[in-house]
Amino acid sequence: MKKQKFSLRRLIFDAACFGFLIVSIFIFSVEPDPIHYSNLHWLLGLGLLGFVAGAILSELFTRFKLRTTGQVLFGSKHHLVDASKGFFSTFSGWQLFITLIALFIVGVVKTRISILDLLDRDGFDGATRLFYDLAHPNLNLLPRAIINIIETIFMAFMATALAIPFAFVLSFFSARNIMRGPFAKVVYVSLRTFFNIVRSIEALIWAIIFSVWVKIGPFAGMLALMVHSIASLTKQYSEMVETVSEGPIEGVQATGANKIQTIWFAIVPQVLLPFISFTVYRWDINVRMATIIGLVGGGGIGTLLIQYQGQAMWREVGCIVLVIAIVVWLLDQASTYIREALK
Amino acid sequence: MSQTILKVDHLSKIYPNGTQALKDVSFEVKKGEFLIVIGLSGSGKSTLLRCLNRLNDPTSGTIQFNGEKLNLDIAQAKSEQIRQIRKNIGMIFQHFNLVPRKSVLTNVLTGRLASTSTLRSFLDIWDEKDILKAEKYLDLVGIREKAHLRADQLSGGQQQRVAIARVLAQSPELILADEPVASLDPATCHTVMDYLRKVNQELGITMIANLHFLSLVREYASRVIALKAGEIVFEGSPTEINDSWFKKIYGDKAREVHIQ
Repeated sequence: MKKQKFSLRRLIFDAACFGFLIVSIFIFSVEPDPIHYSNLHWLLGLGLLGFVAGAILSELFTRFKLRTTGQVLFGSKHHLVDASKGFFSTFSGWQLFITLIALFIVGVVKTRISILDLLDRDGFDGATRLFYDLAHPNLNLLPRAIINIIETIFMAFMATALAIPFAFVLSFFSARNIMRGPFAKVVYVSLRTFFNIVRSIEALIWAIIFSVWVKIGPFAGMLALMVHSIASLTKQYSEMVETVSEGPIEGVQATGANKIQTIWFAIVPQVLLPFISFTVYRWDINVRMATIIGLVGGGGIGTLLIQYQGQAMWREVGCIVLVIAIVVWLLDQASTYIREALK
Repeated sequence: MSQTILKVDHLSKIYPNGTQALKDVSFEVKKGEFLIVIGLSGSGKSTLLRCLNRLNDPTSGTIQFNGEKLNLDIAQAKSEQIRQIRKNIGMIFQHFNLVPRKSVLTNVLTGRLASTSTLRSFLDIWDEKDILKAEKYLDLVGIREKAHLRADQLSGGQQQRVAIARVLAQSPELILADEPVASLDPATCHTVMDYLRKVNQELGITMIANLHFLSLVREYASRVIALKAGEIVFEGSPTEINDSWFKKIYGDKAREVHIQ
């Protein structure tokens, strides 16, 4: 039998798996003093210890030719699969099963799931009253809600429209098939990393930053959505650019066209329709995000919603929710139809 | 004796993965020739052609180009010179390599890109003379009436004729044809080859083509080069390729396929 190749991913996966089990069993059985939970060193130490112990276990199991889940996932694919074995007769099956059970138990504890709270009489009555009010919206607020949602729609529209030119240009600089050569590679990697960081910061956080910068209002919300849209569209556009066929590129290159001409004549025609499709979808997403962003002072319908919610005026809130639901549904339908037609 | 347009000396190409595609290849091409390169798949035919317009970069050797407007060693050319080379040496591909969503006319006009400023091409503003030229060459390959169709609506043979018109729009002195008929049916094969011969004989443009079928080689070539494992094993007139040469080029087990 061939010697198993060492796989780092297998080790990390199994270490996390076994480490999690070891740490949870430790906490449940020893019940350490809660004072430790505010000590960062103690927390990090415990986590690291669990991880290392898990890694050692994983190595030991692999030495003894037990196929761990990590081995099944990331190890060599040439291993023969015995179809007649159920999950309960394999080591990896049990490992997965026990991990999932442990995850579920810890999850129940952490989210404080409580049937008692769910069946609480007072709580249930309060929710019923609130729902009754929501279902009987105060339609006098309709004109203001409509004016505000128009603001929201245009926030989303401007954010998308202003993001397009940036994303369009940047997408070619972050496409692997265009950025060849050592210098280009550096630009490609730094752009990719930069936009991954920008995207991992929620639009909500950007809205808070911009509401300090340009004061609370729709402009701040628009800027937040724009930053997020540039990062997302650049990624989606550049992935499209990476899938274009090489043939037309070579065909145009071979005529002596320069780099910009080659992109414009050989790549852009191939990616234009998917670009439009992504952009329409981004507008649709931005309208939904703009509603949420309003909650932290980004303007539009969200700001109105948080005002009435704060005063517990549920019939007014009901009217606002109704308007949001209708607009989001309509835009969702419209964007679906447009994207279908573009295929 | 007509003048030499291309002189290849000791040309070698080793790919980054270590494959030696060309080994010390030397040959000359005279102006007005219809040179055909034959050999098995993987013998280095495509690499050879792609080195001549620098779609591939040769590892060593020289490629002296003596055109009317351009005189240089292709193997040493830098980026701006490479564009000049490609402008003067057109290329036709096995899979036509047209831009599928653009019109036939625009595809032919891309042949003029090297002579059009970036800004004008960006705004789709073409010289009146260039449009007339494009239409003239579409006429020459007999698909003038398809000018405003999308390129991907045409059949394979028609697409290859568009590619020929595109290459002619460049006004090249030399045309490289990399397996121009390999993805066409036998009947269309001859149509496309006939147009290439017409370009060669009537417009006097030198032609270097890679081909699979010996029957086509005998019919169209003025001279033949055979490659085997990256080396030239035969050079001469197509009529000289007899049975023993055939076995030497293609291996002992090979049998000739005839297309009519």
